[in-house]
Amino acid sequence: MWVFGHTGGGSDLRTQESVFEEIFLVFLVLGTIVGVVVIGYMLYNGWRYRASASDELEDPPVLGELPVGQGGGKKLALSFALSAIIVLSLIVWSYSAVIYVDQGPEMEENMEVEIVGAQFNWDFTYENGETLTDTLVIPEDQLVRFSVTAQTEPRLDVWHTFGVTELRIKADAIPGQTATEWVLADQQGVYLAECFELCGAGHSHMTADVIVVSQEEFDSWYELLSEDPDEAMENIPEPEEN
Amino acid sequence: MAEHSFPPRSSVKRWLVTTNHKDIGILYIVSSLFFFIFGGILALLIRTQLWTSGEFILSGSAFGQAVTAHGLVMVFFFLSPFAFGFANYIVPLQIGADDLAFPRLNALSYWLYFFAGMVFIVSFLQGGTIEAGWTLYAPLNLPAFMPSPGATTAILALLMFVGSVTASTINFIVTIHTHKADGLSLWHLPMFTWSILLTVWMMLIAFAALAAALLILGADHIFGAQYFTATEGGGLLWAHLFWFFGHPEVYIVFFPALGVMLETYQTFTGRRLIGRKWVILAMILVTLQSFLVWMHHMFLTTINLEIKTLMMAMTIGISLPFDLIVFAMIYTLLKGRIRYTTPFLFNFGALLLFILGGITGVFLGAIVLDYEFRGTYWVVAHFHYVMFAGGTALIGGLYYWWPKITGKMYNEFLGKLHFGIYFIGFNLLYFSMFLSWEMPRRVFTYHTGLETYNQMATIGGIILGASFLIMFYNLYTSYLSGPDAPDNPWEYSRTAEWATSSPPPLENFEGVPTYRNGFLEFEDRNAVADGGHVEHGHEPGRHPDHASWWPVTISFAGFLMLIGLAGLGEHFAYELLFIGGAAFVLLSAIGWGLEDFYAPEPLRGAKWPFDGVHKNKFGMWVFLASDIVIFGAFIGAYVFIRWGYGWEAWQNVPAESLPGLVNTFVLLTSSFTVILALVYAQRGNRRGVIAGLLATIGFAFTFMLIKSWEWNFLLPEAETLPEAVTMLVTLDFDVLFHTEGPAIDASIMHSTYYVTTGLHAIHVLIGVVALGYLAWRAWAHNAYIDGNERPVENVGLYWHFVDIAWVFLFPLFYII
Amino acid sequence: MASIKLYFAVYVALLILAVTKVIFIEFFEYWTAVGAILVSAFTKSALIAYYFQHLREEPRAISWLVLISLAAVLLLAAAATYSIT
Repeated sequence: MWVFGHTGGGSDLRTQESVFEEIFLVFLVLGTIVGVVVIGYMLYNGWRYRASASDELEDPPVLGELPVGQGGGKKLALSFALSAIIVLSLIVWSYSAVIYVDQGPEMEENMEVEIVGAQFNWDFTYENGETLTDTLVIPEDQLVRFSVTAQTEPRLDVWHTFGVTELRIKADAIPGQTATEWVLADQQGVYLAECFELCGAGHSHMTADVIVVSQEEFDSWYELLSEDPDEAMENIPEPEEN
Repeated sequence: MAEHSFPPRSSVKRWLVTTNHKDIGILYIVSSLFFFIFGGILALLIRTQLWTSGEFILSGSAFGQAVTAHGLVMVFFFLSPFAFGFANYIVPLQIGADDLAFPRLNALSYWLYFFAGMVFIVSFLQGGTIEAGWTLYAPLNLPAFMPSPGATTAILALLMFVGSVTASTINFIVTIHTHKADGLSLWHLPMFTWSILLTVWMMLIAFAALAAALLILGADHIFGAQYFTATEGGGLLWAHLFWFFGHPEVYIVFFPALGVMLETYQTFTGRRLIGRKWVILAMILVTLQSFLVWMHHMFLTTINLEIKTLMMAMTIGISLPFDLIVFAMIYTLLKGRIRYTTPFLFNFGALLLFILGGITGVFLGAIVLDYEFRGTYWVVAHFHYVMFAGGTALIGGLYYWWPKITGKMYNEFLGKLHFGIYFIGFNLLYFSMFLSWEMPRRVFTYHTGLETYNQMATIGGIILGASFLIMFYNLYTSYLSGPDAPDNPWEYSRTAEWATSSPPPLENFEGVPTYRNGFLEFEDRNAVADGGHVEHGHEPGRHPDHASWWPVTISFAGFLMLIGLAGLGEHFAYELLFIGGAAFVLLSAIGWGLEDFYAPEPLRGAKWPFDGVHKNKFGMWVFLASDIVIFGAFIGAYVFIRWGYGWEAWQNVPAESLPGLVNTFVLLTSSFTVILALVYAQRGNRRGVIAGLLATIGFAFTFMLIKSWEWNFLLPEAETLPEAVTMLVTLDFDVLFHTEGPAIDASIMHSTYYVTTGLHAIHVLIGVVALGYLAWRAWAHNAYIDGNERPVENVGLYWHFVDIAWVFLFPLFYII
Repeated sequence: MASIKLYFAVYVALLILAVTKVIFIEFFEYWTAVGAILVSAFTKSALIAYYFQHLREEPRAISWLVLISLAAVLLLAAAATYSIT
């Protein structure tokens, strides 16, 4: 798979964050340039041809004429072609990242977490079967794969969207459907997970903490989780200050 | 009703009974501005709540209702009706018609819209309206999560609104294609009329899909069907149906505004549109493409990558025609004499805003970026820059056509002041949303880092709202005491609405407009009437009618019926209201049918490609086309859910296919008898007509009898066919209403069976009413054998369609 | 003006086509039968539209109107169903 752009640290793994930031930046710069040029051109001509400064019109339109156009097709075709090239190349270029973002990097080791949304909590279930509510602890620099859905049993729940803005990850949580998402967190810290689809009166409060800690700290906590879940939930590890 | 009894505009009665397109246009504009204020107040509530990051004036539930109602009111009850106010007023003038093709149906459209708005307002009073966002995502949109009857009422309000839109769609399609002045071809239509024509073509298909979605949702709400709670894809099904409507809806809202822009860019620059034919082709292309991109609203769902890629490609495709249209407008400025009047300031500003909305939309077209923008304020900011850019152009349209509609000039200084404050407020409000794009949509509390941007937005919102005080003051004083407007206040305007008085007379032009010699001329009305050959339906010497009580009566009856329907099972009063309302609807519909309302079709003018089709038949076909989409969407929903369930694991509900097959024979035979009625009508054979119609009604009842027996008795496995037949033959009438079959909520299989065949049964019943009416007229008034057999033909077209629908339902629900 | 004879012939053809559906499911393999039944249903609809609704006498544009809405809704059903495969 071709992953565009350079990646830090000599590895070909990229976080979702860096993929997003790069594409966003390119779009932002080009979008601004196009916007400034087009709007500038429009304002300039709007000023240039203001009535008080213009000559009398040649062949002005008259009331009751059959509506016809004014020609000028060549110029139109040219600007159209130019804009088409910009838009097309941007999208095609950005598409090369879609497969990577959809499927995630290939890594030998990875862990899986099941995320279930229910009014108005997030449940995170680890491979050992233990479930944390509104708190997710994951290790730094490790690929974590999520399967995301909404609760169906014992009671059908509604459509939610799980997203962590700072990590640039997001997935719809739809009852009966399972979406996949992945994260590769390269910095320890506490990140805010939010719900991005209106799900009822508690939508605004449907948040969770995503805690990224070092691999060693995670391993020892995870071991504790398997042996004594209650104890582990009391002792959520804390990320190191960078 | 003769013309002399048509009351003057100062009379309240005039506004209740009028069917004149200019009156209806004014009614639309005034009502939509009322809803604009309503939606605007909701917006200000939202912005006030977001002033601080924590709890403030609204609860989570109240906030959810406010954002939902704001979206629904602005999109459905303000933007489109506002645009269609102008369409009503201006399109017939631009094409040189006296009125729309079906003036009474047009009045019905308006009143259905008005009362749909009233139903929506009632929903607030029933324990709160729906709070699922304007996209109404499932299953949050169901009673399990919103138990108050208000949520159901809101859905029925939307359904009633869809009824209004469907009637308008039929009316405008027929009018624009067949009521053009002599010498005015499609190609030469003014740009505003072009934009409305393409808008209604999109509406035809998009709103039918919405109708299907809302009917199914209504069945889930009222009868307990299980479509959108189905874990086999119920949520996704809603998203598909909604966005198949919802994406074209963006252009449905925007195109009329584009039409206003294309007119004003020509008028106020004194230039004709650059690349006109390319602009028209681009708009036609957008119309087609609008139905090929809906899943870009669903990139983050579980749909597969192949379809996402396809939809992404289509999405880029649809941005290109818009590039061309934008460039065409900019190039039209060149070498012009641009006059910055209030209408043009708004339209110039609208294009600036639209460019920004368009560029930020390209970001959303890239899947990787869209994943992150999903559900954030980026989306909110983007679509306000697009939709409200359209709103901006329409406000320009209000100033542009104000002198024509009222005959008064507004104050130019106040107009410019309005624009200045408006434009500042707009950008402060919505650009702040781009800056706070990481915030999730529809939250009423947020983290504290975003307070500055939110407060900027709130200040912008207040400025934006306040600017409209200037507009309302300006228009109010102009209406009361403004200087009289000339016929044509705008130099370089070209279109025909400026070639008549301000406001125009009842019949729009003194003479009959014609473009036969390549420019607008007027012919003597009497000469045209005498010279034109007399066709069926043309009654020389008779004046067209302009008044009817039935549109407002039917709509009011519908209002009562739907309020009752929403509360079924809640309280006895609701049941009474529903039954009374339904009877009232039926009676007023019959009253409508009996009224002799005369609206002639123009004798000349290009009708290509619909030459030679009478307007009633054309209207019926347009209606059937939308019905095809409704039935198709029901069948599509069934196929989708069955696929999600596992196609071959699915169990058909009817245990035997024989009753279905018998019913197929029955309906096919009824199709044959209804065509016989038409043949006999053409031959002038009265008894043949009556016999054909009665036989058809008889077969319809047979069909319904077998159907109801099946619903009640065939379905429980214990019952056998002979047993059921015996009970039926003994005419135990109780049988029909004695429900023993499994309930609609027994499983998704039962839900799809009952709901789809139920929709078909309702079609059969409506057909029976229409056929009964024809039979009675044929019997009592010797109707249809005097050369005017069109009603028999048109009802027949409908009846054959009901037959065709069954041709598909039978195999899908009984055999496969 | 069409003759009753012609309409009757169409009617008989429709009845026969209706019966074929039940026969197909009995004698064909499931998915073959589904295909055959759909062909039969579309044929019936076309006969009804062409003769009974006399599309054959109307301008071509009316047929296009019908076909366009049919195509739109078939697209909706097909693409939506495909999206979850």
